[in-house]
Amino acid sequence: MNFDAGTAAKFGVGGFLVLFLCWQHVSATRLGYRVAQARKEIQRARGRVETLRLQVDQGLSPGALAAEAGRRGLIPADPDSLRVLPGRQGPIGWLTRLLARVPEPVRSALSG
Amino acid sequence: MDFGLRLTVASALSLAPLGPLTLRLAHLQVLRHEALSERAEGEFSRTASEAAPRADITDRKGRVLARSVPTWSVFLDKKMLKDPAELGRKLGPILKVAPGELERKARASGRFCWLKTGVDFPTAQAVQAARVECVGLTPSSQRVYPNEGLARPVLGVVGAEGKGLSGLELSQEKRLRGKPRRLELTRDGKGRAIHRDVAEDGEVPAPLKLTIDRNVQYIVEEALAEGAGAHAFKSGYAAVQDPRTGEILAMAAWPPNPLKNPLVQDAYEPGSTFKVVTALAAVEERLVGPAETFSGEGGKWQIAPGVTITDHEPEPDMTLAQILERSSNIGIAKVVERVGPARFFRAARALGFGLRTGVPLPGETAGDLKPFSDLGKVGLAASSYGYGLSVSPLQMLGAYSALANGGTLYEPRLLDDGTAPEKVRRVASERAVGELARMLEAVVDHGTGQPARIPGYRVAGKTGTARKLDPLTRKYSQKAYVASFAGWLPASAPRWTILVIVDEPTKGSYYGGLVAAPVFAKIGRRLLTLEAVAPDRPAEPAPDRGAVAAARRVASVPPPLRRAGR
Repeated sequence: MNFDAGTAAKFGVGGFLVLFLCWQHVSATRLGYRVAQARKEIQRARGRVETLRLQVDQGLSPGALAAEAGRRGLIPADPDSLRVLPGRQGPIGWLTRLLARVPEPVRSALSG
Repeated sequence: MDFGLRLTVASALSLAPLGPLTLRLAHLQVLRHEALSERAEGEFSRTASEAAPRADITDRKGRVLARSVPTWSVFLDKKMLKDPAELGRKLGPILKVAPGELERKARASGRFCWLKTGVDFPTAQAVQAARVECVGLTPSSQRVYPNEGLARPVLGVVGAEGKGLSGLELSQEKRLRGKPRRLELTRDGKGRAIHRDVAEDGEVPAPLKLTIDRNVQYIVEEALAEGAGAHAFKSGYAAVQDPRTGEILAMAAWPPNPLKNPLVQDAYEPGSTFKVVTALAAVEERLVGPAETFSGEGGKWQIAPGVTITDHEPEPDMTLAQILERSSNIGIAKVVERVGPARFFRAARALGFGLRTGVPLPGETAGDLKPFSDLGKVGLAASSYGYGLSVSPLQMLGAYSALANGGTLYEPRLLDDGTAPEKVRRVASERAVGELARMLEAVVDHGTGQPARIPGYRVAGKTGTARKLDPLTRKYSQKAYVASFAGWLPASAPRWTILVIVDEPTKGSYYGGLVAAPVFAKIGRRLLTLEAVAPDRPAEPAPDRGAVAAARRVASVPPPLRRAGR
């Protein structure tokens, strides 16, 4: 059989296309596996984040804080032991300024 | 045979099978194309739905009260399992399950079984690292309450299927669930996902914000638990409301039960805390003057032939304010005679008794408040001091809030949805409510409510001690009481209405003034500290022993009615 140059080129291009499509399919499948694996990793990481968040919430729950305060010998103050200073707006002193920068939920738990 | 013929025969023979094959192919590709395509699609494609996590429930400041966390379930596909004993040895310590138990599950009939559900992330990771054959992990979700028992009667509980069974988890089920996401998955021969498309977007619900304050809730629960220790009561309830808006800040029950909220679902005979209704009707209609006195009848008053109302101590003539201070049954029964059943009933209804409050919690009771005109003289007298009717703790709290804020009854708010407080109605004129508020301040300053005093602050409130009705004998018990205290503080600008109810105290006293009022005072002190509220009264000494003894004397509880010859 004799093929002219044009026919040979057509076969060549056709063959290349078939090979390319095969390669593309295999690559897509391989990527699919990697994406599925990455999704699982994301899910696990989310699970880890949620577990840690839960631990933070549990650690900052009023019951846990009260227990810790009790261990350190702290007792709740009576209202008449407070002195409300007139005319002072916003945080005063280095500790309150520091606490004002602490993110939620740490700040909210501490402020309570 | 020449070459050409042989070639033709060979070609024909080799091509002959192509005929049936072509026909079969045509049959499959043309005639059965659609059915087979669907089947192939089904083999490799699947529609899955990914449930949205249940919404968080937070307190008024956004602190989490309930959260859904991803968990994992460990399963076993026994088809290829070779050594069940090894499975137990490897996974037992990780899952904290006895190896024998895992082995028993592995040897049981059936191909599939759950080894453990609801395991956390580190455990799931350890299971994966152990690489035990035939063991797999599947993600799931678990409802957790980071503050443990805090506010559980309000929050409720979620069942194994992720549906709310009680409390807000039940009443707000639709709001909390969200919408699942639908996915189109393409899988390989082993069932592993290669590709996925989102067919339908889900909806992750926003957190449900409550009006509950986590710290206030803790203070209330702690005070109630301490009260339970001191007085060994059967059960106790306490709630805090902001009288300016109707927002519920705390709602606690002891012992805590996530399946039931007695503050909403139960009704009780309120006893003397209900005297404010009689007093309000009298003051509103100007039926009793401020200096007008009523005879104490020497502590016993025969209201009808054979029926006597008693006070524990013989009381002298009393004004309405003194009747409330001393919690005199005879005095208030005389007042209600003047008020009459219609006005009395109107006042009770205006304060919300006998009607559901509309709080978004399941199973709310309306209590039992029949028209007083049906009761007769004796029944009306008993109702004036809170017998023969029942109210829910939430109704009582709302009524005292209305008295605290100058006379507006608000719908109790539990969901902080950013809307304005819902005013239900005006219960009485500002004049009448103000007058009654001053009387209730005197109850704490000089009367039965002295143990509720907080040095430096003005407090208003009323004690209540009611005998319990024995359901078997249909008579009032001589041993079982409900002690209560309802009030607000600071009285100059009320910020909190607090209700404390103690059911059957068995240790020490059983009077509302001596059992419930100290719990009220403890809660009040902690709230004032928490919010750093400036004192609204000059410092004064705390109530001395004499005052407590006086409270004991005047708070004593005679039977509601004594029938001669019985």
